Amino acid sequence: MIYLKNILRIGLLSTLAFTVSACGEDEPLTEGTEPQLRRLTEQQYRNSIRDVFGGNIIVAGRFDPLERIDGLLALGASSATITPAALERYEALARSIALQVVDEDNRKVLLSCTPAASNIRDDACAKTFVSSVGQFLFRRPLTDSEQSLYTNISGSGADALGDFYQGLAYGLTGMMVSPKFLYINETAVPADDGLHQLDGYSKASRLSFLLWNTTPDAVLLDAAATGDLDTKDGLKKQFTRMMRSPRVEHGVASFFEDMLEFERFEILEKDPVIYPAFILDVAEDAKEQTLRTLTQVLITDESDYRDIFTTRKTFISGALGPVYRVPIENPEGWMPYEFPESSPWAGIHTHLSFQALFSHPGKSSPTLRGQAVRESLLCQKIPEPPGDIDFSEFNDDANQINKTARQRLDVHNKEASCAGCHKLMDPIGLAMETFDGAGQLRTTENGASIDTSGELDGITYENAVGLGLALQQNASAPACLTNRLYAYGTGHTPARTERQWMGYLGEKFASAGYKLPELLQEMVLSDAFYRVVPPSLDTNTADAGITSAKETNL
Amino acid sequence: MKKNMNLTTASAIGALALGAISATPTAADVDTERTIGLVVVSFYTSVYETKYMEECPRGLAIGNDEIWWKSLEPGIRDELTNGGEIEPVTGTRRAMSAKRGPGGEDVCAMPTIVQDPPHKTVQGDISFGMNLDGQTDGAATPKTCSHKNFTTPDGQTGIDNQMYRLLGCTFGWRDSGYVETNANGELIDTSQGVILIEVSDVDDKRNDDDVTVRMYRANDIFPKDAQGNVLPYASYRVHDIPGYGNAAKGRIVDGVLSTDPIEAFLPYYGNLAHSEIHLRDMRMELDLEASEDRAKGIIAGYRDVENFWSYFRKGGYLAVTGQFSCPSMYVAAHELADGYPDPETGECTALSSSYTIETIPAFIVRPEQDDLNTSEAPTEPSTMQLAARGE
Repeated sequence: MIYLKNILRIGLLSTLAFTVSACGEDEPLTEGTEPQLRRLTEQQYRNSIRDVFGGNIIVAGRFDPLERIDGLLALGASSATITPAALERYEALARSIALQVVDEDNRKVLLSCTPAASNIRDDACAKTFVSSVGQFLFRRPLTDSEQSLYTNISGSGADALGDFYQGLAYGLTGMMVSPKFLYINETAVPADDGLHQLDGYSKASRLSFLLWNTTPDAVLLDAAATGDLDTKDGLKKQFTRMMRSPRVEHGVASFFEDMLEFERFEILEKDPVIYPAFILDVAEDAKEQTLRTLTQVLITDESDYRDIFTTRKTFISGALGPVYRVPIENPEGWMPYEFPESSPWAGIHTHLSFQALFSHPGKSSPTLRGQAVRESLLCQKIPEPPGDIDFSEFNDDANQINKTARQRLDVHNKEASCAGCHKLMDPIGLAMETFDGAGQLRTTENGASIDTSGELDGITYENAVGLGLALQQNASAPACLTNRLYAYGTGHTPARTERQWMGYLGEKFASAGYKLPELLQEMVLSDAFYRVVPPSLDTNTADAGITSAKETNL
Repeated sequence: MKKNMNLTTASAIGALALGAISATPTAADVDTERTIGLVVVSFYTSVYETKYMEECPRGLAIGNDEIWWKSLEPGIRDELTNGGEIEPVTGTRRAMSAKRGPGGEDVCAMPTIVQDPPHKTVQGDISFGMNLDGQTDGAATPKTCSHKNFTTPDGQTGIDNQMYRLLGCTFGWRDSGYVETNANGELIDTSQGVILIEVSDVDDKRNDDDVTVRMYRANDIFPKDAQGNVLPYASYRVHDIPGYGNAAKGRIVDGVLSTDPIEAFLPYYGNLAHSEIHLRDMRMELDLEASEDRAKGIIAGYRDVENFWSYFRKGGYLAVTGQFSCPSMYVAAHELADGYPDPETGECTALSSSYTIETIPAFIVRPEQDDLNTSEAPTEPSTMQLAARGE
């Protein structure tokens, strides 16, 4: 296998300069990376259960956090393990879900067969259920041995408990603690061009988790089974169908939730004495406001991606109304809203979510905000700060001479070891200083007026709205999205050998007017998106799942 | 966004104080610049108090429990207090203490069924309130009965406030007294009986000689901050109830809003009892610039005695917590009534009243009916449901 991998690499490196017409008009050939073994994220797990069994199934469990790698939790999922303690939690959760699935109400709509008697095993009925549900949990049809295994578990359970449905719950629990469910397990197969690509079911998973952030539905699995996903027409048909589904908004929102580090809302806290208006409802709705705005602008309106930095269109909820001082038609719901031209809100970086998330519990932080813009929106890495920084000047909020953050940072940045990085972050963050640490507007800080002027990569601005215009014109912004989206979809950071492909993708994005659906289409219809090399044998991490379905049962 | 929302912006107080940073809606048909929206967050009967209770030279009203307790035989007292080990009036015995009619009737629901000592009323000359009848001598007019007028602390004469005369020497209504302190706490806690004030046709928010004022009941709850304070600039839908929302002509002079008289109905909830305040000749005086985020002032008018008493009919226990006798107060209320004489008997049926209120900025919205349809879209069948159906 190593030999084959090296042969492929050598061959590919020599041919990267030319393009292959079969991959689209002029798609550069990529070498591909190894198939991924990605642990389901919490949201993917929840979405999968909801979509397979229904929204009435309660998923009451705790999930281990993922490590953020290269700006995405999705990349952390590609190297995430499951500890014994976590497996116990998965098992308890699976058992809870399974018992709900087979309860008296749900069994009527989720099972297509009725056992001969409810107090004894019925392998035929159990097998029908196991094979049906298994394909949606494992995202591919079960092998014969897998069907037998979970049918037998169900039967043994029924024997022991004297209850067919309780036994079935055991079988279902077994499926849900299998790595084949908990991990998105990709399989490489030879492609027509002599290289390797993902098999149809792995393609279905990539498509489904990218566009919907959930398990493939029956139609998509059928397309995988029939080989439709191995053709451009088949892929396009599925892409078009999936983009028309309401699920795509959840899918896109999930991507941006990851890109914008919104998982941090789970642990976000503000000092209630300093920011009493920042309550839980406000925090939750602030996050949703930005995600709704993004899906509206990028999916519903199909606007230019760069407009997210300037758009005044948004959504306001009852909880957010008092914060933004906006009237709400129905305080119990959401309302589309457009900030007036004269307002200080334009672009997602001015949203409460961004301002509050990238601040301290009791004060704003131009540095954190600037870092977030650089790293999350422009994909520019800011070096870690040295360990011996003296923050006393900056943290001296009672300083009557240096009343504003700008003044205090000026003093702080007299340290040469600090200035280098701060000059990358602070001018950006200082533009947003009229938003306090909880994202509420203010005109002064400690009684002093706030100077929000600055410059970003050669473009000057007077305030956060101007910063948005500078971001809109910054070439790194769409390039960052392209990079992150591809990494999110494939589960790997774009490799060096994919640079030409990424450049090509960026050009396509630009020529399409930076429309996200166009970028998604270009990506999912490409060969590169599914290009893989067979897993090398010198890695020890893959034996949990990178095997074809026919090889193992658990 | 939908363009059919009618609303009132909370613009006058905090937004003006903060300059031009408040957002305004863009719906073309919404008159955002000429309206002021307010929500009442504090509502107290106007009670003027002096440090040494000079206004109550006869002392405070006698409590219902005191009268009840005195009426009991020693044996019953022993039984109720476990030989003196527990408080005589507490918990379940609060309601019992009001049931001292000849047949155990609730004397608050039936205040004429027994006769109690006379209610102790205010004897002072100073009160908050307004001159409702236009007279300064308290003489009877076709719409009023003879009464004694008050003077405000700042010297305005001819003040009509018989409600204060009735309640000002009763513990429950005085500073920190249980009845209204608790009622205001429940208002904030439960968001029931929330009053909205809408000032429209405003050309100048400091000085305008012609504005229109309406009062409504809110259909939404108070959003609160982490410290339990009601957040300003929240949106409240109007609960359309017949009789509410009568338009009063008003004016703003140097930031103080005042109105001409109208008949008004106001929601009220307190001490676990819903009621409604019916005020005739109601007028308002509200300092819109009282503080950065609050308007403060009074609303005054003639409150029907029976309307007033409806509150106590639902909560006899208030006689215990408020420390008064329902029969005594009921009799006094009728004796003190100074407005709206009964055409047949000539006895007045309403008490001149004044309520001290505080408001914060709010958005008052009236969504179209379609907007209120919050039913969720049908749930998409799950994959397994479809599979089970063979689809």
